[in-house]
Amino acid sequence: MDSNLFCGQLVRLSAINPATDAEAFARWEVDSEYMRQLDSGPHLPHPIKKIKEGIEKEQQEDPNTVAFSVRTLADDKLIGFVAFDGINWQHGDTFVAIGIGDPAYRGNGYGTDAMCVMLRYGFMELNLQRIQLDAFSYNERAIKSYLKAGFVLEGQQRGTLLRNGRRWDFVYMGVLREEWLAMHNEP
Amino acid sequence: MNHEPLTPPNDQGAVNGDLLAGRLVRLTAFNPEADAVLIAGWSRDTEYHRLGDDGWAYPQSVKQVRERLERHSDRSFGFAIRTLSDDRLIGDIGVWIESWVHREGWVGIGIGERGYWGNGYGTDAMRLVLRFAFAELNLQRVSLGVYAYNPRAQRSYEKAGFRHEGVVRGDCHRDGRHWDSVFMGILRDEWLAMIDDQ
Repeated sequence: MDSNLFCGQLVRLSAINPATDAEAFARWEVDSEYMRQLDSGPHLPHPIKKIKEGIEKEQQEDPNTVAFSVRTLADDKLIGFVAFDGINWQHGDTFVAIGIGDPAYRGNGYGTDAMCVMLRYGFMELNLQRIQLDAFSYNERAIKSYLKAGFVLEGQQRGTLLRNGRRWDFVYMGVLREEWLAMHNEP
Repeated sequence: MNHEPLTPPNDQGAVNGDLLAGRLVRLTAFNPEADAVLIAGWSRDTEYHRLGDDGWAYPQSVKQVRERLERHSDRSFGFAIRTLSDDRLIGDIGVWIESWVHREGWVGIGIGERGYWGNGYGTDAMRLVLRFAFAELNLQRVSLGVYAYNPRAQRSYEKAGFRHEGVVRGDCHRDGRHWDSVFMGILRDEWLAMIDDQ
């Protein structure tokens, strides 16, 4: 009960400040590699103003989304975001999304650390039963990271995505409360 | 891995049964146009008002009631109480989610039609809303508050499975006397044990 739930080994989860953070969110969206790993839709960067308004609207009106920015513990640099979206409170399950927007921080454990902190927050603070995500089969680095954080492969929706002339799968992953508790020796 | 059974262990809460139909009443949606007229009529009855609310008795217009019935919130689950025998609107009941994180809901009930007081209709409706709260919303705890001058309601809540948990002394002032607020609650495990016995 004593440690700060928001802090991991490398990063902390912080509030998203629409006024100051929207610029970085917009900058990351210009990177099509980032966007294709994050989203299956056509890559279309949004203007800062639209992103800022979107964050404000979500913070004010959506009780089923819990979003954080991800900052490094070393120098408080904003490097990404992580969010529960579409929390179903009745059944206690949710989708989680994560993006490390700053390319210098990809592949070095920052995203895995942020996901581990988010899972702890979801199970220990929000008392959720199940956390799930979908990844794209061309994003092997993300899938490896999710496995490290405790997610289990649950299924594949074959050939759903068409990228660069090839078909790729939707990869469904999930972690149940009991699995997470066993992994962390929590009662 | 041990999962709690998804359904309560008898037909009271079977997944495919009708959760919202009891022995005397069923819980239904409001039909705001028609129901608002009856509910506004109940608001002329000050005894009814005082049994259920700590505010001052004050009649509501049909328009005010209709607008209240038409408002939606994802934390509030309100139902009309209708008789099984003739589908007559006799009251209203609802669950308000105090906290999804802690899975606590508060219930409120009112039987507006006086001919249905003291005959088990309210208790039946409360049993249904508890089944909805525990079997459908998956709540952990349901709470309510009632005034000390309403012993009939307290008996009904006890029959439905609530336990007395405590009072706030003398916080309600009616006709020159101070009355306690009584707080009652029922936990998920108590509810599961209760329906198992039936």
